[in-house]
Amino acid sequence: MTRRWRYLVSQYAALAANMLPPLIYLLIFFYIPMSILLVMSFWKSGYMTLTPAFTLENYKLFFSSPIYLRALANTVLIATGTMLALIVLSYPIAYYLARFSPRHERLLLFLIIIPVEINFLIRIFAWKIALGRNGIINSALMSLGLIDEPLQFLLYSKFAVALVLAHEWLPYVVIPLYLALKGIPQEVIDAARSLGANRWDVFWRIIVPLSVPGLFASFVLVYIPMLGEFAVPTLVGGPSGYMLGNVIESQFLSAGNWGLGSAIGFVLLTIILILVALVLKVAGLERLL
Amino acid sequence: MDAARGGLRVENLYKRFGRDIALDGVSFEIKPGEFFSLLGPSGCGKTTTLRIIGGLLTPDAGRVYLNDEDITFLPPEKRDINIVFQHYALFPHLTVFDNVAFGPRRQGWPEKRIKEEVGRLLEMVHLQGYEHKYPRELSGGEQQRVALIRALITRPQVLLLDEPLGALDLKIRQQLQLELINIQDAFHITFVYVTHDQSEALAMGDRIAVMNEGRILQIGDPRTIYENPVNRFVAYFIGNTNLLEGKVVEVQPGGLARVHIPGIGEMWGVCRHHCDQLRPGLSVAVSVRPEKINISRTPPDDPGYNTIAGMVQDIIYLGVSIEYIVRLEQGLTLRVFQQNLADDARQLITWDEIVWLYWLPAHALVLVE
Repeated sequence: MTRRWRYLVSQYAALAANMLPPLIYLLIFFYIPMSILLVMSFWKSGYMTLTPAFTLENYKLFFSSPIYLRALANTVLIATGTMLALIVLSYPIAYYLARFSPRHERLLLFLIIIPVEINFLIRIFAWKIALGRNGIINSALMSLGLIDEPLQFLLYSKFAVALVLAHEWLPYVVIPLYLALKGIPQEVIDAARSLGANRWDVFWRIIVPLSVPGLFASFVLVYIPMLGEFAVPTLVGGPSGYMLGNVIESQFLSAGNWGLGSAIGFVLLTIILILVALVLKVAGLERLL
Repeated sequence: MDAARGGLRVENLYKRFGRDIALDGVSFEIKPGEFFSLLGPSGCGKTTTLRIIGGLLTPDAGRVYLNDEDITFLPPEKRDINIVFQHYALFPHLTVFDNVAFGPRRQGWPEKRIKEEVGRLLEMVHLQGYEHKYPRELSGGEQQRVALIRALITRPQVLLLDEPLGALDLKIRQQLQLELINIQDAFHITFVYVTHDQSEALAMGDRIAVMNEGRILQIGDPRTIYENPVNRFVAYFIGNTNLLEGKVVEVQPGGLARVHIPGIGEMWGVCRHHCDQLRPGLSVAVSVRPEKINISRTPPDDPGYNTIAGMVQDIIYLGVSIEYIVRLEQGLTLRVFQQNLADDARQLITWDEIVWLYWLPAHALVLVE
């Protein structure tokens, strides 16, 4: 009995010793700051003032302000639209790389990953040059005579935010999808075909369901950070591409209202958690994990 | 059911992968309802042949006929041929029920009929109540049973099995061998069974095609393949044998030949294939199966035997039989199986004993190729 007990203690001690460093790290850099922000979101707060007195004022303010709610709607719209576009765009790329194993598979993967290595400010300014009023797209279209005056929606719009975000996050959608598709054994596909499934059936009944874990990884990796994005909308969004991240940023950095900033942050976090739970449920992922 | 359904014929299949020739002119014909084994070492082309029959590959040249209908370029889903794979290839995201129902649903069976038939087949392979389990919850043997009934439920004319028992433990393998034979009897479906395991092919096949390097070397029933191998490769690959290289000294009518083997001397053997090439001086191999050799402390009385003396170098106790490795005068060794008749009273032959080995000329096969 004592031996068994001592064995268990030593096992748990080993487990604790292994988990302690990351736990301490998360505690100091994640849980404690988050807890402070959570407390602050319930404090009375104004310009550069923060009074430790419980109030729901910050949350009330957020949900009663049309500007903030519009930013929230913008955020969900841009992030969801970009995510869907990314999946539609990435699936054929990942599918081609994984299932057809082209001769230059590694080179192509490398080419997809390489934009990540470019500083993101440089990337954004490059887009600004391309999309601007006198940018190469507008001047090219004009000199071809396809349009008479520059297209306005190209820059400082939701479209511009979505485009730049899509460029930024494409590799993070392609790679998990590629890995999921690569992991589907050829035998499974062969079995489906021999059982009478045509290419359409094979794609929708075998390949798509089996790539769901990859889609989910992409979703977590890309959709969540996109919801919190503030740099891209600041630089190419203009007034119509304003996102919740910009609101939070301005509350902390220019409006000096930390209580409101925290409250909006937690609203966003709650939305993200609900979305992740929903997606997990819909994807039926527990069956595949 | 039409008795003629399920006849399969392949003619002159050629297939290259890059610079490798996978199939170099493969032809055979399989009768409806036959259990046909394709046997050979890995890389011999047996799986390529199977994939071509299943429609998963197209040959560079040659034709595949099902009931005399050319199906060479028909896609797999249009062929009345199903496949069972070595690694089961179950759909991991579907339950056992949905896995088995996959084929029937593609054919538009009513759900009620699917439910009845899946239940019936699950019972047949002793998996009743497994409908709602997922493949990863099943053992290897259970998964392969599911894969088998998934392929059988639509009653295809031909079932292709690609080393279906290769990933399983010996006991389960032997049990499933029996189940497969029973199922094949019950369903009367043509089975094409790919294996590299010669004992499996011998135990299960009505006929066996032995393949090597993209060619078929011999087709025949298990007994013919074992007792009358066409060349050195078949003799060596199927079962165990002692292959002795030598030169023909004398040829007699009826395929009887006297062969000189360096280190052993001269012995009589029979030739059954390519015997027209036999003439004195020709290099041949003599194949003597270990179980055809008698081992004794005294030489035989009958002068009709090939007889030689040697010393026991090793004994391998196999339970069913005892294998002796006997060293001959000039360093050659012979393997000899003896039925295990041991009891307390009988003194078994042991290490370093001088023994006599003898066998009939009919059991010494002279192989020209």
